[in-house]
Order: sequence, then structure tokens, then C-alpha cells
Amino acid sequence: MSGNIRFDFMHFMPYIHLPPNQKEHHSLWVDFPNKYYDPERGRELYQRYLAELVLADKLGFDAVVVNEHHNTAYSMMAAPNLIAAAIIPQTRNAKICVWGTPPNLEYPNRLAEEYAMLDVLSQGRLEVAFPLGTGMEYWANPISPATARDRFRESIDIILQAWTQDGPTTYYGDFYTYRYLNPWPRPYQKPYPPCYIVGTGSPETVELAGKLGFGYASVFVTKPRALELNQQLRRSAAQHGHQLRPEQLPLQVITYVAETQDKAEQEAIEHIRFFFEDALRTTPTFLAPPGYLSVDQLKKRAALADKLHGGFNFEAINEAFFVAVGTAEQVVERIEEWGERMGTNHFNILGAIGNMPHWKVVKNLSFFAEDVMPRLRRGAGLERRAAAE
Amino acid sequence: MAAVEPFAHFERETHTVNGVKTVVLTAGRGQPLVFFHGAGIWHGLKFALPWTERFRVIVPMHPGIGESGDDPAMTDIHDYVMHYLDLFDALRLDKFHLVGFSLGGWLAANFAVEHGHRVERLVLVGSAGLRGKERPKGDFFSLPPEQIPSLLVSNFDVIKPYLPDNPKDLDFMGERYREGATLARLLWEHPYDTKLPRYLHRLTMPTMLVWGEEDRLLPVQNAELWRRHIPKAQLQTFKGAGHLVLDEKREAVDAVQRFLS
Repeated sequence: MSGNIRFDFMHFMPYIHLPPNQKEHHSLWVDFPNKYYDPERGRELYQRYLAELVLADKLGFDAVVVNEHHNTAYSMMAAPNLIAAAIIPQTRNAKICVWGTPPNLEYPNRLAEEYAMLDVLSQGRLEVAFPLGTGMEYWANPISPATARDRFRESIDIILQAWTQDGPTTYYGDFYTYRYLNPWPRPYQKPYPPCYIVGTGSPETVELAGKLGFGYASVFVTKPRALELNQQLRRSAAQHGHQLRPEQLPLQVITYVAETQDKAEQEAIEHIRFFFEDALRTTPTFLAPPGYLSVDQLKKRAALADKLHGGFNFEAINEAFFVAVGTAEQVVERIEEWGERMGTNHFNILGAIGNMPHWKVVKNLSFFAEDVMPRLRRGAGLERRAAAE
Repeated sequence: MAAVEPFAHFERETHTVNGVKTVVLTAGRGQPLVFFHGAGIWHGLKFALPWTERFRVIVPMHPGIGESGDDPAMTDIHDYVMHYLDLFDALRLDKFHLVGFSLGGWLAANFAVEHGHRVERLVLVGSAGLRGKERPKGDFFSLPPEQIPSLLVSNFDVIKPYLPDNPKDLDFMGERYREGATLARLLWEHPYDTKLPRYLHRLTMPTMLVWGEEDRLLPVQNAELWRRHIPKAQLQTFKGAGHLVLDEKREAVDAVQRFLS
């Protein structure tokens, strides 16, 4: 793997104290009643999750990743910048990745300001990813999904103008008018923090990332689809005169490391099951509000949803997605292989999976940091393979 | 596929209006009667056949719905009013009766507010557009698509022939999703027009309101709201009819015909 290999620790901060009847709810998103949220337990979870993010920094992860979702037990980070602000003073080295607020759901000047604040506060450790937002976010926010993509593009345009041109400037757009675009403060990093687009890979967003020279973080896409996306982005970036670097293609890996494969599976699978079966559970209508997808995409995804129907199956998940559950050696091997295949050296480790208890997260991160990271950083796997041949 | 031809007896013309393919269905002879359909026209025009005996019934398909093309730049009702000014020029239509159903009622009310001299008589059927206290239980957008058809009617048999056998038919779902996007562009952020009541006094032409008493999408109480702003309008409601009152009740179709004759 070329360049410096990089490991991020991504947290979703789920609210895990679900009522016993939670499976009767068709969705843990959008309309899942918020009476089930107990602030005292929420506070305990925040405290615990923040400690896990801080631990990742201490253990030598290169970055911690937070993200934004609304109206859901899946994530308690409705405002990820607040979480980022809370962990900045508690961390030293890790980059702080806010992956991120949908720029079309927030006033773009305010987002430019908040990210600049975080970048200054962290002395240039911020990285930003722009999501369009899941379909579910549009049921929770007052923005039309039908104009979301146009607004998304315009918002990013405004944010980049605010970061790259000396203010005050003006902006007269379709959605926003700025007579004095002049946000204080400005980003610590020049010209601005590393940026990505994050999503499930609709052609429009991949193309936009290529045009802007941004990275692309694909989430919850299957292995072949992820490869396809990386290739598309390389092509698109090249067409726009950008040389895409491997670290711009973070690869999301569901990871759990333990003493033996059996133990790893025994300890992790129930939480992976919770993640797919419960935390991600929602309805096709919430997933695809009108105008959010093209008709073609809708039909493709509807056909796929019918195929995947039939409940949780670890083998199938393991096969379809990037899942590394096993011993340190197995995890090293898989990550190395996927890194080569996908042309990346940037791994976004989902190490706090679903309703995993604190001890498992600590164990997982510690095993990963002590037994996986060093080998991959040294390229130990490559040496081993060479020796075997 | 649907078991029946939804537009039997109508002739189809295609116009290009400001670059947008616009399909116009026409049947009958006599005074022109323009019908603005709702957010979908898959349930056909069989109900309108009695009108064709006395009127030239003209049904343009709205951009983004049915067989007409898409124009994502059309993001409010006024864009549709302007679209129809251009189309009516092309059709050399000057004065006509205007009947609007649901979304088409909202559009018809706007057209008539702005261009009242061109509208002989106005009929609003289960019309959207006003902000009522009576909100439907589930909003149209958040319903699973396979549940929408049955919500539209009191008697499901009326629309059954126009629906695919498989309620999750991908092509049918795709077409409805496309129409949903059209609707979302128009009214996701504002599912009503807060300004419209200011201008409804301009509806000085004879005006009729028609509603199904079992309308579950826009409950019949909405009719009173319209009448408050158009006091001279006559209101007729029909028992045993849902939102698609014209499709369900021949009496409603006849009442409109009497009003226009």
C-alpha cells in the first residue's frame, strides 16, 4: 500500500436502550417515538461514547469520525459539530472528521463558520465530508428532497467561496443570497480542510466529488459497488484535472478483533445483527422520499430490497460488505487485500458496532491498535506473504 | 399492466410548450371544457365521458405527470399557470369552462384568480391548496405507495382495473415515484398556499365546489374552508364517495354537467 496507511475510528453513538416492543416499530427512524429517549441514559451514553472516541486517539488511531442523523435511535449525533467540539480538547493527534452535516440542511454560511471554528479550535485537525443526507433526514427537516441535490451543490459552492476568497464577497444563487459573505473565523488549514463527499454512491454525487477534487467516502455499499465507485471517481477526478490520492478513498470496514475467530464472531455477531436488523431498520418510503432518487435508481434499489429481504444472515453480510471479524492476522490480511483491490490506504474502522457494550469496544479498539495497526503500518502482511511464496 | 385503456375515446395530441412535451387528450364537441387533473391520471378519464356529449373536453397532462415530460424548473403552481397560458395560446383556446380536481383544483383556482375573464364557469373538485384545520391522518407523501390507491376511494373496485395486479409492480411504482417528485417540487415545503385566500374574492364567475363525503385525503371539511372565501359558490357533497368523487359517483359528474350547461 502506497503512502501512509491511515486508520479512522467511526462512531454512530446509537441510543441502545430500546423498549422491549421495538421490533413492532417499522422504523427506528423518522417516526420512532421520542418518548423512548431517556435523557439520563442518554447522558450516560454520551459520556461513554465520548470516552471511546478519546480512547481511539490515545491508542493511536489517526482520526475519529462523527456524523449526523435526525429523528433516530441509530445515532445521538443530531449536531455532530457539538460532538466534535466536545472531543477536540480531549484529543491530541487524531484528526477530527465530521462526515458530516448535509450542507443543504443548514445555512451554508453557518456551516462554513462552524467548520472553520472547529478547524481553528483543533489547530487544523478537522476534515469534512458533505453528505446529501439519507432519505430519512428529509422527513425530519423542512427542506424538499426534490430540490435537495441542487441545494446541496449550491451550498457547497457557497462554503468553498467563503473559504477560498477574501471576504466580503457576494453570492446570488437560486436558493441563497449573500450580500456580505464574510465569515469569521476562517479555516486554520489552507486553503481549507480536506473535504470528501460521503454517500451511498449516486452517480451525481460521485461526479461532483470528481469535479471538486474531493474524496469520496462510500458507506453501506457492497464490495463490487464500492470498487465501481472508486473507479468512477478516479475517472471523473482525472477528467477534471485532479490527481486522486489513495487516502481520498476511505474504505468503511466493520471490524472486530479477538483472540480467535470463534470468539470474535461470538462476541460481535449479535451487535452486527442489531445494527442491520434494528438500527438500520426503516421503510422504503422513508429511505426514498419523492425526488430524492432518480426513477431509475428507485427501481434498482426497490428490486434489490426485495432480494435482500429475509432477515439477518451474517454469512451474507460478511460476503456482501467489508466485514473483518476475526483474529488480528485475519483482519490484517483482509484489510491489506481490500486496500490493494480498492486502491486505498485509508480505512474507516467501524469498531463500535450497534449495541456493543463498552468493554467490547475497548477490547476491539485495543486489539486493533496493538495487533493490527502496527502490522499494517509496517506492511508486515506483505512481508509474510512474500516469505511464504 | 392495467386491465383497461384509461383514456378510451380520447384523442391524443402532443405539444411542446417551452420545451416541455405536453400531451393533450380531447374528446367530444361543443363548448370547451378544460379539466385539470390531480397529481396522477393513471385512474383514467372514463368518468368524463358523459361530459363529452355536450362539451369538447380538453385534458392536458401536467408536466411531470402521466405522459407529459418533466421540467424540474417548474417549482410552483404559478409555473403551471404560465405553462397553461402558453398551451392555451397554442390551442387557440380563449374562453372555457374550467374543472379542476385535487392538485388540479388548486391550479384551476390560481388560473381563475389571475385570468378570470377566460373562465366561464369554475368547478373545484376535492381541491387542494388551502391550509385547513382538518389535516388528513397520514400525509400523502409519507404513505407507502401501495396504500395510496385505496385511500383515494370509498369503493376500491372503481380504480382496480387501472392498477397493476402486483401492487409492487416496479414500472408502476417508478411512474408514481416520478409524479411524487413532481408534487414534492411543488408542495413539499408548503403543502398549501397561504396567499391564496387573499385573492379568492377574484373568483366572480359562477363557481361550484364538489366533494366526496368520505374523502380521506382532503376531508370534506375543506369544502367549507373554500366556501368561506368564495361565499357565492354552490357546494355539493356526495355520500359514498372518497377523494376520487368523480370516478366514484356518476351523480357528481352529472351535477357538474348541469352546472356547466
